Amino acid sequence: MKKHPQLLSLFAFIALIIFVVVPFVPLILSSVSFSWRWPDVLPESWSFRAWEYVLNDGRTWQAVGISLWIALIVTAVNILLALPAANALVRYPVRGRWLFEAIIFAPIIIPPFISVMGIHLTFLRLGLTETVLGVVLAHIAPTLPYMFRAVMISYQTLSADWEDQARMLGARALPRFFHVVLPHLLPGILAGASLSVLISLSQYLITFIIGAGQVVTLPILLFPFVSGGDPGIASAYSLLYAAIAIAALVGMDAALKRYYQLNKAPQDLAKGGKP
Amino acid sequence: MWRKSKPYLLLLPAAATIILLFFGGIFDGLLKSFGYFPAIGETELNLAAYDRLLHSASFWESMELTLRVAALSSFLSAVIGALIAVALFFLNESMKTNSPKAWHRLFQLPLTIPHLVAGYIVVLLFTQSGFVSRVLAAFGWIDNITEFPVLVNDPFGWGIILTYAWKEAPFVSLMLYPVLSRIHGSWREVSRVFGAGNWQFIREIVVPAIMPGWAIATFIVFVFTFSAFEVPYLLGVTYPSVLPVYSYQLYTSGTLSDRPEALAVNMILAAITILLGLVAYYFSKRWNVLKGWG
Repeated sequence: MKKHPQLLSLFAFIALIIFVVVPFVPLILSSVSFSWRWPDVLPESWSFRAWEYVLNDGRTWQAVGISLWIALIVTAVNILLALPAANALVRYPVRGRWLFEAIIFAPIIIPPFISVMGIHLTFLRLGLTETVLGVVLAHIAPTLPYMFRAVMISYQTLSADWEDQARMLGARALPRFFHVVLPHLLPGILAGASLSVLISLSQYLITFIIGAGQVVTLPILLFPFVSGGDPGIASAYSLLYAAIAIAALVGMDAALKRYYQLNKAPQDLAKGGKP
Repeated sequence: MWRKSKPYLLLLPAAATIILLFFGGIFDGLLKSFGYFPAIGETELNLAAYDRLLHSASFWESMELTLRVAALSSFLSAVIGALIAVALFFLNESMKTNSPKAWHRLFQLPLTIPHLVAGYIVVLLFTQSGFVSRVLAAFGWIDNITEFPVLVNDPFGWGIILTYAWKEAPFVSLMLYPVLSRIHGSWREVSRVFGAGNWQFIREIVVPAIMPGWAIATFIVFVFTFSAFEVPYLLGVTYPSVLPVYSYQLYTSGTLSDRPEALAVNMILAAITILLGLVAYYFSKRWNVLKGWG
C-alpha cells in the first residue's frame, strides 16, 4: 500500500513535466540551431545568429518599450477607474447594481475585437488610428474588468470601521486613503495590474486594427516571423516575448513580497521586536 | 443629496469609459452592419448584409468549423485539466502537505504564454517535419515526412485544438484544484474504512465534488475559443476559417461592400457570446461556483 501511491505520484509528476515543459524544447532548440533537417531530433550545428539578430535589432527594443509603455498606461488608467467604481459597488447601496456589473464585466464575455472593428472608422476620423493613444484606448475595455474584479475582492475585506477609527483619530480624507485604504487594497491592485499588463501585452488583432502597423508592439513584430518567416528568428522572438510576459508577472509578485517585508520591519520595531 | 448620488458618481468614470469605448464600438458596428455609412452617403438601414450572410455557404461552413473547434478544444482542455488537477492533488497527498507549493506555479506556465507563442510552439511540434515527427522517426515508427498527418494549417482545425488544449487545460485545473484541496484527508480515510479503493474514491467523492466547477470552467473555455482570433489566424487555413477570422477577412478584403457583412458576422458572434455568457452566469450562480465574481 505504501509503495504504490509513490509510484503513482512519480508517474503523475513525469506526465505533468512532459505536458508543460517539453513543448518548449523545440522552441529553444530551433532558436539556437544553424541547420536542423528532418529527421534529426537535435540540430546538427548550433549558432546564435537568430539571437544576435533579435537582440541587436533596434526594432526589437523599440517594440519591447512600446508594448510595456502601452501596458503601463493602460494599467494606470485602469487603477484610476477601478478604485472608485469598486468602492461604490462594494460599500454603498447601489440601485441597479446588476446593470453596472453587467456593463463593466461585459468585455470579458463579448470579444473586444467586435467593438474595435465597429469603432475603427470613427477612430480614423478622429485621427486616433496609428497612434499609441488609440491603441491604449482600445486596450482599456479588455483589461478593466480584471482590474475591477481584483480591487472589488480587496474592498470586500476592508472594514469601514478601520476608516472610522482613523477618522476619529483626526485623519482627513487623503491621509485616510493613503494610510488605511490603499495599503489594504495594494495586493488586489497588484494582482489586477499583473493581469492587466499580461492581457495588454498579448493583444494582436485590436492593436493591429487601430495601430494599422504603425504602432509596433511585440506581437505585431512577431507575427510575420511565426507565420512563415525564418524559424530561428521566430523562435528567438517567441522566447523573448514569453519571457517578458512571465517577467512582468514575476516582477509584480516580487514587488508585492518586497512591500510586505518593508512594511513588516517598522511594525516589528514598533512592537519592540527585533528588526 | 451628495450622500445619495456619491456611489453613482464614483461608478461614473468606469461605467462611462466602458459604455463609450466598448458599447459605443459595438453600437457603431451594429449601425454599419445595417448598411449605415454616412461617409459614402449611405444613411438607410437595411438587413441586406445579414440576408447575404445567412444565404452564403461560406458563413455556415465557418460556423460549423468554429463550433467544432470550440467544442473539441474545451472537451480536451476539460479532460487534461482534470487530469492535471487530480495529479497535483495526489502528489500533494503523497508529500503530506496541503499548502500549494511553488512548483505548482510551473503547471500554470502555459496560461502566461501569449497566444501567438503558444500557436508557434504547436507549429514547431506538430508540422509534418516538426519535433514529434522527428521523435517518431528516431524510434523508427515513420520513415517519411508524409507519413505524419497534417495537423497544422489543416482544414479540420487540429492545430488550433491542440494549442487551446495545451493553453487552457491549466486554466481548468486552476479552477478545479481549490475544490479538490477542500476534500479533506479525513474523507479519504472514511472512504477507506468503508472499503473504497483509490478508483472508487475518485468516482464516488472526487468527481461529484468537482463537477459544477468543472462544467463551468469547460464552458468558459468554450466561449473563449468560440470567439478567439489569434490562434486560428496563425494555425488555420484560408477557407474555411473560424468566424472571427472570417469576419476579419471580409473586413480587410478591400471592397467596401463586404464591410457590413463583416460587421454582421461580429454582431452574430456578439449575440451568441452574450447568450452563452448568460447561461454560464445562471448556472454558476445556481451552483455557487464563481465566488467573488459579484
